[in-house]
Amino acid sequence: MRTILAGLPGLAAATATAPAMGTGEVWLFWILAPIAVLAALGMLVAKKAVHSALLLALVMFCLAVFYIAEQAPFLGIVQIVVYTGAVMMLFLFVLMLVGVDSSDSLVETLRGQRLAGLLAGAGFAALLMGGIGSAALGTRAGLGPQSASRNVVDIATLLFTRYTWAFEITSALLITAALGTMVLAHRERTAPRPTQRELSEQRFRSGGQLTPLPAPGVFARHNGVHVPGLLPDGTPSELSINKVLAARGDIRSGQELDTPGIAASTEEEK
Amino acid sequence: MRRVNVYAPILVLGLLSTGFAVVSVVAGSLTGPKRYNRARLDAYECGIEPTPQPVGGGRFPVKYYLTAMLFIIFDIEIIFLYPWAVAFDSLGLFGLVEMVLFIVTVFVAYAYVWRRGGLDWD
Amino acid sequence: MSVHTLGRLPLAYQPAGTFGTDPWWLVVLKAVGIFVFLVVMTLLAIWWERRVVARMQHRIGPNRVGPQGLLQSLADGIKLALKEDIVPRAADKVVFVLAPVLAAVPAFMAYAVMPFGPQVSIFGHRTMLQLTDLPVAVLYVIAVTSIGVYGIVLAGWSSGSTYPLLGALRSSAQVISYEIAMGLSFVAVFLFAGSMSTSQIVNQQTNLWFAIPLLPSFLIYATAMVGETNRAPFDLPEAEGELVGGFHTEYSSLKFALFFLAEYINMVTVSTLATTLFLGGWRAPWPLSLVGVDPAHPEGLLNTGWWPVLWFIAKINIFIFVFIWLRGTLPRLRYDQFMRIGWKILIPVSLLWILAVAAIRALTLDITLDRRTLFVWVGGVLAVVFVVSLAWDTLAERRGAAGAQDVPAAGFDPMAGGYPVPPLPGQSLPAYADLAVSPVSARAGSAEPDGTRDPVEGDDA
Repeated sequence: MRTILAGLPGLAAATATAPAMGTGEVWLFWILAPIAVLAALGMLVAKKAVHSALLLALVMFCLAVFYIAEQAPFLGIVQIVVYTGAVMMLFLFVLMLVGVDSSDSLVETLRGQRLAGLLAGAGFAALLMGGIGSAALGTRAGLGPQSASRNVVDIATLLFTRYTWAFEITSALLITAALGTMVLAHRERTAPRPTQRELSEQRFRSGGQLTPLPAPGVFARHNGVHVPGLLPDGTPSELSINKVLAARGDIRSGQELDTPGIAASTEEEK
Repeated sequence: MRRVNVYAPILVLGLLSTGFAVVSVVAGSLTGPKRYNRARLDAYECGIEPTPQPVGGGRFPVKYYLTAMLFIIFDIEIIFLYPWAVAFDSLGLFGLVEMVLFIVTVFVAYAYVWRRGGLDWD
Repeated sequence: MSVHTLGRLPLAYQPAGTFGTDPWWLVVLKAVGIFVFLVVMTLLAIWWERRVVARMQHRIGPNRVGPQGLLQSLADGIKLALKEDIVPRAADKVVFVLAPVLAAVPAFMAYAVMPFGPQVSIFGHRTMLQLTDLPVAVLYVIAVTSIGVYGIVLAGWSSGSTYPLLGALRSSAQVISYEIAMGLSFVAVFLFAGSMSTSQIVNQQTNLWFAIPLLPSFLIYATAMVGETNRAPFDLPEAEGELVGGFHTEYSSLKFALFFLAEYINMVTVSTLATTLFLGGWRAPWPLSLVGVDPAHPEGLLNTGWWPVLWFIAKINIFIFVFIWLRGTLPRLRYDQFMRIGWKILIPVSLLWILAVAAIRALTLDITLDRRTLFVWVGGVLAVVFVVSLAWDTLAERRGAAGAQDVPAAGFDPMAGGYPVPPLPGQSLPAYADLAVSPVSARAGSAEPDGTRDPVEGDDA
């Protein structure tokens, strides 16, 4: 988050002094920059984790538009594909894993996390100051003779010639990510998964219920899953009702509903 | 005559479609009838009382995390493949060797995940 | 942001023709045109789907509203607008309202870079029949689609209900899984076209549509696009028997209509992308493309002016028909089967195919490579293919042998395992073996010469 908050003034410094900044770019900046900053602040104060994630996605989207405005269309679009599309989707999935409605716990479980956070923040701020300083005070290289339409080819040429090593290292990073995910999220099977065939054979050998379970509900009168189905002899079938509903005490007997008074009361309740 | 750049048309189409979507959402709440019904505002669960959500909301198989993570890994691979493909003719055989190395390395991770059963759904 | 100049660049890297020079009124006209095109396509596609599926199921389909029922979808839309707009009590109100907008807007926006045709004249102004083009146009489409997934995930989450949440999670996992196969299938196209700009890719297909040399890519994309749009047989997020309506279970009124619209526009978009990248975009199909070709007009008559729009729309509609055909034909896959196809077949096959295409291209480009080395390479590849196919056959044989053991003996035991069982293929019920009558003779037998008629047939008459 600090990145984004600190990054925006830097961007402002870089763009405000750029000699060839068009009016369109000024408008774009002064509309999107406040949105990005507000979204970033909102991300910090939002109560629900999903709202925070959404606002973060908005910040990333705004950054992507800035990149495109700075004539880096490839970087801008990749920012949307990778960060807004893939990484934020991972965030949303993770939020759903831990329970979508859970709000932030205020108990600090890591010891010394505040101190570490402060140190890292200060270090990052220093790094950023250096970057902004050299951009504001030094001479700007700018885009040079390239233009946006050669953007992709130029990136490719640099990436696959001068930065070959860095590019190949990235694959090692990706392997690490895959291994880490497997360690964290994969549950090893101890026995092979029973196939459909084995399951059905087992069902027949054990000799229990062979046919599909009877359907719940007395059709044409009370067709709710909370009413047991009646067998041909008129007795309610225990098999037809869901165990979870039974445990919750939501089951109504067919006879109970057949009594006009109770049936009427349930109608009112609806 | 005013000329526009290549991104402005996207903005115009975006504004147009956003306008349409917002108007639709607003219109939908105005044109329809409003008849209060407690049961109608409940979550839909085939006619039974909605299952109460557990504390902290519904939880999901950690499996989806694996899918999302693998998606990111391959997404990044694709992002590298695109400029490589566009500039392939100027990179030549060197570019090919480079990309074979990269793909093979990522493939090792893929094979590992496959072998450990990370790609199986059950 | 200055208007960049394209003049001094090598042709292959830049969009064909000039973009970004249209006056404002033309940009707005084109944007409105795209918007209307997509809405009309949606209405027609829904009508067409219902009619075609009905015909496949020996029904008639909607035929009341308008000629041949053409206005049925419009009537449905109006009906939806007059339905109550329900926001469930447990819903997260803001996100619940935001989700349909997030689903619909990207669906429209993806169409900004789709080439409808070559340069034409609109009110005396020469312009490309395409809203705009970017050097990263196809990547832009992928980016916009990935934002559309938010609509699905947020709709499911914000509903505060079980089925939508399950449907949304399934749906998004499905879309992202097939997005990889989709993204990989584009790489070979970029290799051939040397560009990611849609107009440039269409230009590169003047002589040969990419679907022919890149058939595996095309097939992978065609599979992935069905998974990407959550259509049958990959419509697991809307598996009615399991998840009611999937992520939009709690939506009603025009909010639901927006999801519906987005789904159909996405169908049109992936069909357009298939057309543009693999089937020559707006170019006329082969024999027609030769009409009127002479040295002065190398493109031919049917590839200039407004004609291409016809081919473009026709190609899209062929894809949409295939979508409908699939829905009318194939049953839904199980989720694990679906994920297996995506992760274990499409992805490795596309990666290998990309490397093969790149290798062939590198070999043909690299003139320093002499013929002997090329033969060694080709021989090596053939040897690998041979070994793999041999291994495959051996495995298949072994599997077949394992399966053969399960074939029961010819003798039929009607109470096998203690339960009454029907005969398996190759067995016949001993008691009725000589009574077997073919349906035709049974029918002939019912119309006896003495005039006694089958009572059912009598009722029919």
